[in-house]
Amino acid sequence: MDAEKTSNNRIHESPEDLYHEAPCGYISFTGDAVIYNANKTVLKWLQYSREEIIDKLRVHDLLSIGSKIYFDTNFFPLILMQGYVNEVALEIKRKDGSNFPVLINVKKVKVKDTNENCYWASLFDISDRKKYERELLTSKLKAEQDTKTKTEFLNTISHEIRTPLNAILGIGNLLAKTSLDPKQKEFVDILRLSSENLLMLVNNLLDLSKLEANSFKLEEKAFAIRTLVNSLVHSLEIKAREKNIELYTEVDENLPNYIAGDPIKLNQILTNLLGNAIKFTTEGHVKLGIYLLGSSDTRLRLKFRVSDTGTGIPEDKLENIFQEFSQANFKVDLEKDGTGLGLSICKKLLKMHGSEIKVKSEVGRGSEFSFEIDYKKFDQRNSKFQKVHHLKEKMGANFSSTRLLVVEDNPINNLVISEYLKDWKINFDTVEDGQAAIAAVRKKKYDVILMDLHLPFIDGFEASSTIRNIDLEKQPVILALSASNKESIQNRLTRAGIDDFISKPFGPEDLHRILSNYVVSRQRGKANYTHQNTKECVVNKEEVSNDSFDLSGLIKMANNKPEFLKKFVLNTCTGFKTYSQDFKKAIQDNDPSQVSELLHKSTMSVFYIKADRLVKLLNECKCLLENEEEDYKNIKSQAEKTSAEFERIITGLEKFSRKL
Amino acid sequence: MNQLNRDSLIKRNNINIIGEGKQPIVFAHGYGCDQNMWRFVYPAFLSDYKVVLFDHVGAGNSDGSYYNSGKYNDLQAFADDILEICHGLELKDVILVGHSVSAMIALLGVVKDPSIFSKVVMIGPSPCYINKNGYKGGFSEEDIHELLYTLDDNFLGWSAKMAPVIMGNPDRPELGEELTNSFCRTNPEIAKEFAHLTFLSDNRSDLPKLKLPTLIIQTKSDAIAPLEVAEFVHKEIPESQLSIIEATGHCPNLSAPEQTVAEIMKFLKS
Repeated sequence: MDAEKTSNNRIHESPEDLYHEAPCGYISFTGDAVIYNANKTVLKWLQYSREEIIDKLRVHDLLSIGSKIYFDTNFFPLILMQGYVNEVALEIKRKDGSNFPVLINVKKVKVKDTNENCYWASLFDISDRKKYERELLTSKLKAEQDTKTKTEFLNTISHEIRTPLNAILGIGNLLAKTSLDPKQKEFVDILRLSSENLLMLVNNLLDLSKLEANSFKLEEKAFAIRTLVNSLVHSLEIKAREKNIELYTEVDENLPNYIAGDPIKLNQILTNLLGNAIKFTTEGHVKLGIYLLGSSDTRLRLKFRVSDTGTGIPEDKLENIFQEFSQANFKVDLEKDGTGLGLSICKKLLKMHGSEIKVKSEVGRGSEFSFEIDYKKFDQRNSKFQKVHHLKEKMGANFSSTRLLVVEDNPINNLVISEYLKDWKINFDTVEDGQAAIAAVRKKKYDVILMDLHLPFIDGFEASSTIRNIDLEKQPVILALSASNKESIQNRLTRAGIDDFISKPFGPEDLHRILSNYVVSRQRGKANYTHQNTKECVVNKEEVSNDSFDLSGLIKMANNKPEFLKKFVLNTCTGFKTYSQDFKKAIQDNDPSQVSELLHKSTMSVFYIKADRLVKLLNECKCLLENEEEDYKNIKSQAEKTSAEFERIITGLEKFSRKL
Repeated sequence: MNQLNRDSLIKRNNINIIGEGKQPIVFAHGYGCDQNMWRFVYPAFLSDYKVVLFDHVGAGNSDGSYYNSGKYNDLQAFADDILEICHGLELKDVILVGHSVSAMIALLGVVKDPSIFSKVVMIGPSPCYINKNGYKGGFSEEDIHELLYTLDDNFLGWSAKMAPVIMGNPDRPELGEELTNSFCRTNPEIAKEFAHLTFLSDNRSDLPKLKLPTLIIQTKSDAIAPLEVAEFVHKEIPESQLSIIEATGHCPNLSAPEQTVAEIMKFLKS
């Protein structure tokens, strides 16, 4: 081979030297990945002699197992399609089995006078770089984790603060209603105003973190847009009147009464914008305009505009007003009793709607915020919406004969609910604890009970299940009131015989909706507890060993069809006999996986009959079996307990089925 | 769930419908790439069939916003997508061709709703990659975890992953883009979850439920799905035939497209 001519006459380089002594590795391979050439550098790295590799090994043989899979599924397909691959990190295996990381570049080359291709690859040892990379990624991961932790902390704290704050606010409101001298009244007003502002700040913080975590979802339900606007304006009117500002609305005549979308988010956006407008206006007016921009068969586009004659926003500040946590912004707004978060929440809520907020402003003359939202047309034929649509009419007629019991120990909540109920002309009584509720139910007939779950002495769950066991001519509908997450307490609700759940905080509409749902469905004769059924339930509870299982769910599901119930119970009973055999075999084989399989298999059956104790026992067995050092005696005693529980369930079910 | 309309489906799965024929042939790509995998294969079918190409959600140019880990935590979810595509496009008498993991996805789809399919082609199928009591899938569970580790380091281009990190702009992946490879772009997180699903799945018990004529195409040397696995699949699917072609590797649709096409044609004409 000729020496390559270089610009420097004294230095001669042969192509061979350039190939073999290069500071990076080279290998060449065929379409079947068989290596047909490699330079000395790479041979040295790999600790192989030339003869050991050439025409003997495939690229796969040099790769760690993970890289091998990656090579076949990602890397090689890519070369075939693209003709090259750059900068892929792979782990290469040395002859002694140890690994090192390389960065590999490959190029496809056509073999002269054939249809075949061969592949040239260069390899760079990146052991050092890899260390830095790991370091860098670890730091990044840690930083992200830290931010997440902070957000969670903020979230928790905000929740914790909200509870006592609600109490302060409530007491403040009650205090304001007592007779006070002017000085005291001033103090109470400050107290109320400050706690209101604080609550708003906390609520906004929570919303913001929810928005950031993407845990908000847009709902779609029919709502009366004019009603929403009216109640919104009504709630802000007091503030406007205090400041001597006129607050008025202009709603497009062509707007239908009902549209489908997320009313809560819309309410939140408008509350924020109107609240701000009132805050920054000292004289003149604040106006909310809603206009129909256009509509298709299924959708309509609305424009919302909030304008004021307030202080206005300087042009250079317009960009900043939507940023949360910006120090300057925060300071300014706090002086004005705001949180500085409202606009950024609006912006994010609108983004969820695929919309954005526009602002026009002139210092000294006022501001105008506007946005457009696409809503679905409310479809009359859709029965789901229809229910909501006709609530109002249905309610008036039905509520007059409804007797309702409110069980709530918090005087504020009690007061608020009472006000709503008086408004709707519903007959009701209130009690403050579970014991009193039980006594009231024994004395008087109620159709509906609103039951707070966190009560002193006897809580809402216990009170409800006790009521369910009282021999009544007609069992009431029990609706729980709670600030807990419904999913987290669903099982307890069902077990206590509670029909439905109203999440706190709730507005009059929420309460209205759920009440009318139940009143209507009861009057249609659905979802009722008949005398006979209830009695049956109680009897069974007493006769069958108390906690092993509970058939009330099944009875409810069977809906007065004894033949169905009997079939179901017999099937379940047979199922449990098989499970019991499976369990004995698992213990014999000393095999925890059989127990987990059994747990999995029986999920629905144990759920139907609520055999929670059995599930617990089985889980404990599984744990004991999994622990290889576990004393055989412990396993044996636990297994006996579990078998006994199986027996109790099987005999209990048999006994029950005979009576049907 | 609401059935998506045709346009949304086309957007979701980046569906391409081409060809002169009537009978639809749907190509489902495997793990590691997107519909580009079929680029050397599908042209042969254009004159006689209606060719349908698509990307699984999360791969290629599919609409990633449809992806959520909760839904796609099971191969059945991808199979349901194929059924949605067939129903949404009103396809009948469908020939379903699945490569690699999509052979199993095809299996799950066809078993769930056999009425709209007529024949199935599986290229390099494996119902279970992990060795389990006597069954030889080719890999141990540790091997698969090592793969996932490799994936962490990669995603087609070291620079694609590191450049944004180094530049401090993880929100702007385009900064690293031009340095790297242009085919088979996948969202790294989704690809990792898909790898998890693919390599830890076990669909052995579903094989006998497939009652349609099925062709299994296998190369003589495939490190991902070894010959024994293909033989197992052949044994378990009642109406199946196995063709071993003169090629190597896991992707004969790319490395030996002519043979792959010839085998499929032969099967369809039979």
